[in-house]
Amino acid sequence: MRSRLFYKVFATYLVVTVISVFVVSLLVGREVKKSSTKSVEEELTACARVVDLSMGKDMETKVDRLASASRSRVTLIDALGNVIVDSERAAAGMENHLNRPEIQEARVKGKGSAVRFSSTVGVDMLYVAVPIKEGGYVRLARPLYEVKQSIDNIYRSFFTAILLVIPLSLLAAFVFSYRLTSPIKAMEVFTEKLRRGDVSGSLLVKTTDEVKQLADNINYLVAELQEKIRVANEEKGKLVAAFASMTEGVLIIDGEGRIEVYNRALREMFSPRYGDVQGKTLIEAFRNVDLQNAFDRFKKTGGPVTEEVTMGTLDPAILDVSISSIPGEAKTMIVFHDVTRLKKLEKMRVDFVANVTHEIRTPLTAILGFIETLQEGAIEQEETAKKFLEIISRHARRLNRLVEDLLTLSNIELGEMKFFFESVSLSGVVENVLPVVAARAEEKKITIVKEIPEGLPPVRADRDRLVQILLNILDNAVKFTPASGKITLSAAVEGDDYVLIRVEDTGIGVPVDEIPRLGERFYRVYKTRSREMGGTGLGLSIVKHLMAAHGGRMEIESHLGKGTIVSLLFPIMKEPASRL
Amino acid sequence: MEEKRHTSSQYERELREVKDGLMYLGALAEKAIDSALRSLLERNSDLARRVIAEDDRVDAFDAELEDKCIRLLALRQPAARDLRFIATAIKVNGHLERIGDMAVNIAQKAIILNEEPQLKPYIDLPRMADITREMIKEGLDAMVNEDVALADKVRTAEDTVDGLNEQIFRELLTFMMEDPKTIHRALIIMQVSKNLERIADHAKGIADMVIYMVTGKSVRHQFHARIDRASS
Repeated sequence: MRSRLFYKVFATYLVVTVISVFVVSLLVGREVKKSSTKSVEEELTACARVVDLSMGKDMETKVDRLASASRSRVTLIDALGNVIVDSERAAAGMENHLNRPEIQEARVKGKGSAVRFSSTVGVDMLYVAVPIKEGGYVRLARPLYEVKQSIDNIYRSFFTAILLVIPLSLLAAFVFSYRLTSPIKAMEVFTEKLRRGDVSGSLLVKTTDEVKQLADNINYLVAELQEKIRVANEEKGKLVAAFASMTEGVLIIDGEGRIEVYNRALREMFSPRYGDVQGKTLIEAFRNVDLQNAFDRFKKTGGPVTEEVTMGTLDPAILDVSISSIPGEAKTMIVFHDVTRLKKLEKMRVDFVANVTHEIRTPLTAILGFIETLQEGAIEQEETAKKFLEIISRHARRLNRLVEDLLTLSNIELGEMKFFFESVSLSGVVENVLPVVAARAEEKKITIVKEIPEGLPPVRADRDRLVQILLNILDNAVKFTPASGKITLSAAVEGDDYVLIRVEDTGIGVPVDEIPRLGERFYRVYKTRSREMGGTGLGLSIVKHLMAAHGGRMEIESHLGKGTIVSLLFPIMKEPASRL
Repeated sequence: MEEKRHTSSQYERELREVKDGLMYLGALAEKAIDSALRSLLERNSDLARRVIAEDDRVDAFDAELEDKCIRLLALRQPAARDLRFIATAIKVNGHLERIGDMAVNIAQKAIILNEEPQLKPYIDLPRMADITREMIKEGLDAMVNEDVALADKVRTAEDTVDGLNEQIFRELLTFMMEDPKTIHRALIIMQVSKNLERIADHAKGIADMVIYMVTGKSVRHQFHARIDRASS
């Protein structure tokens, strides 16, 4: 189907050609009519002047001759307007002709002419009147057949021309409108494609006129648009990547208060409990009063709101939530920053300081108290003074141990402790360690059983630290095993890479839920008892750290009232030869 | 074609406010239960007193929400589904308010218990609390999403809570028979357990109302009524 533009162009062409042909034919017709009438008029005038008509005899013959010579009707009229002779009609019955325009004109100007439609002949008649000598006028009249004929001929050819012009103008309109509309059509198709969001490609137009200019402009705009979209996409890509890879949870709430989008971090933070929160309102999604209150406060004040929110009840997450608006949009962004670990660390730090202070204060108070008592006179009584000094010395030693343990711990943690790893034979170390604890075990009548198999591969360890670890564990075992108990020290190969050292006692044991906390600094299951025995509360913590430094680990298994098993896993020293 | 953006009318927004309000009240109730239980487990009487103080907020919000519902009924004259929803909301609102009161009861008991040495480690009470909180949350989820299956799940969870309550009762009975000195504490713990059990009852009440709202059938006084029968 052709476009409407085509029909418009075609119709314009047609109307313009038809009107111009019509106008031309009218003008030409009028001109032809005028000129041919004039030539007839001149011919008749000449005829009228050539023939000298005079009243008298033979007048009728003369008139007839003139009439046939000039191929016209000749009328002779006297000065008063009475028709004297007429070549075609009987003069008697004819009316007075004085008032005829040609006669009047002839009377004034010496020559008169007029064109009138003759109803008798059915055609225009040209009348030419000339005065004669005796007074009166001769009038020649000729029907303008030729004039009419030629005008009709002209009109006919113009009509034919019009008929010819219509298909021609159709063709021209077709060609022209095609040439005009095809680039416009192409532009229309192209811009429609743009409107639908496809900004690829460019516009190809073969013309060179303004249409081409327009197409060039469109191409330029599209190129601009493509560039802008590319830049925007790039920016968006960066933002999306940032959004997705952020460790903070982010969600965006639309103007209706529903969650529009949220990132992966948030999904990982909440997904198990809250599922897919998209499209839900904040309270529906998280059911958290504090979060909702913060959001309500944000909505009321419009300014950014920061709030610490606890989410969940079992192992709750502590989140720093900041709510802010997105500029230029009726949307809200909420950022969740998980500070659970930070809070835990903070609490540990505070607890640590509190614990250290407490641990130091207890012996210090005792030392100061006894010194004061001595100063107040107890020093005079030798027995009491000795006892007091003994106590002071014990507490001072404990303080010393505490400081040493703290130093050890902090050295390990700071990585400042030097380890000298070598191939260590376990049985050799055990031989050195056992005598140290044997004396105290003896006091409580605790038997220590040693089960170290022959041919155990050497472990990779720092000899001194290994001794320290074993002493610590065995010391604990002796401390918490009641009299006449039993401690078993055994060792075995565990898997391909480890040697397992087990210290099993028949002591008082530890409640199951406290086992995970045993490696914590200053954590004591039996608080008073441990202190009475001179423990610093740091022993297992040091062991734990030392084991980690050795690339091994410590595991504790215990049954309340039945005993405890401490398992130490040390890596086996691999022979360099076995390494290829 | 340009997609026509859905803009909610004022009426829809008001309905939404009621929904969100119910969930907010639910969250308040959940928080109250959680805090009350923690005040017991962590022997934190300050926390318990905070729960008691915060109940005023629950009551105030409950009144506000009920007012909102009544206004909606009066001004909008909702029909069919919306009418059932608002009627349900008013009843659920009441249940949630009562749950808040139960949490206060628990907090009060916690303060008393915190004055004395702990009788025994609490294992079943936190489990009960967790289940009841989940029941409240899921009951409201079921209401907002018109989810009959979820409501049915809430209804069956109540049996578990009842079972735990009986278990706690039996356990405490042995304590009391062994040592009369424990009777006072045991009785108070029993009341805590009973309160949790009643919270679960209220949560079940919410679920019942949801089934009424969606299906138009009342299951409130049918014991172990099968939902598929009720909704067929």
